[in-house]
Amino acid sequence: MKLKHVAPHKDPDVVRLGTAALREMTELSSSLRHATVLTDDGFEVVGVPAHAADGRLASMASSIQALTEGVANELAIGPSSYVIIASETGHVIQLRIPGQQLVLAALFDGDETLGKALSTARIAAEKFAAALTSR
Amino acid sequence: MEHIILFAGPMGAGKTTAIRTLSDIPVVATEASNSDRAAADKATTTVALDYGEIGVSDEEKVRLYGIPGQRRFDFMWRILRDRAEGMLLLIHNDAPDPLGSMREFLIEFGDLCDRGGVAVGVTRTDVRPGLIVTDYTDFLEQERPDLMAPVMAVDPRDRGNMELLLMSLIANIEMRALYREVPA
Repeated sequence: MKLKHVAPHKDPDVVRLGTAALREMTELSSSLRHATVLTDDGFEVVGVPAHAADGRLASMASSIQALTEGVANELAIGPSSYVIIASETGHVIQLRIPGQQLVLAALFDGDETLGKALSTARIAAEKFAAALTSR
Repeated sequence: MEHIILFAGPMGAGKTTAIRTLSDIPVVATEASNSDRAAADKATTTVALDYGEIGVSDEEKVRLYGIPGQRRFDFMWRILRDRAEGMLLLIHNDAPDPLGSMREFLIEFGDLCDRGGVAVGVTRTDVRPGLIVTDYTDFLEQERPDLMAPVMAVDPRDRGNMELLLMSLIANIEMRALYREVPA
């Protein structure tokens, strides 16, 4: 029997676990403005606040992730660990959910230190990966 | 001399394949696994851009940029549109609404068509009989009567096909530039 493949953004299990991971992230950091988990091709799996950016962050994060991984590959410097956009009033952090075709992208306001933002995002990504693996 | 040409068109039209066919250098591609197999039954989809280059003479090089076909990546359309001199628009004949797709891209890239040029390649004409090339020519004339754009059936895997379409576009861009320089 051929198993039907369910896209991650349509898989209730992935959505539920992603929601829990992002909720925990918001509890860890009061300066988190927006976070999303997206598929490699830019579909939002889950976001907090829900639908805050109408999937726009997911689409842009997908392009950035692909470009970043392309550059790392061209330069033969190994897999890209994370992407940081540090701006005047906020930071965007994004990183791959380990072992998954999913990416976490988060926007923090400027009150957050870059180190804390990165640590928060990394912990959330690792916990989400572990939850997906153990289901 | 360098030209910058944008490869546009809906998802599944053959933009990445066309750039791979034409490019003299290894193509920089940003393909991701396609989660939406209902929209297009293909394994991967472009999420940022494709990039290739082709030399057309000792002094002339064409930079080939492919855009993502899906509208949710339209920020990439805007970034790349402003750099381009012309658009090679690929439309697959077995799309649900190929003429509607053609209209969408002619409107979205109207400014590029005005200041540069456009050529239309109709792909997958062998997969499903439907519209014929003159249907696209007539539609283009109806939508943009001011454009004199080449329209032809192409196979994105065929270098000869794609070179002919690309050279037609470059000739079209240069001809229109000459017209603009000549005082009325």
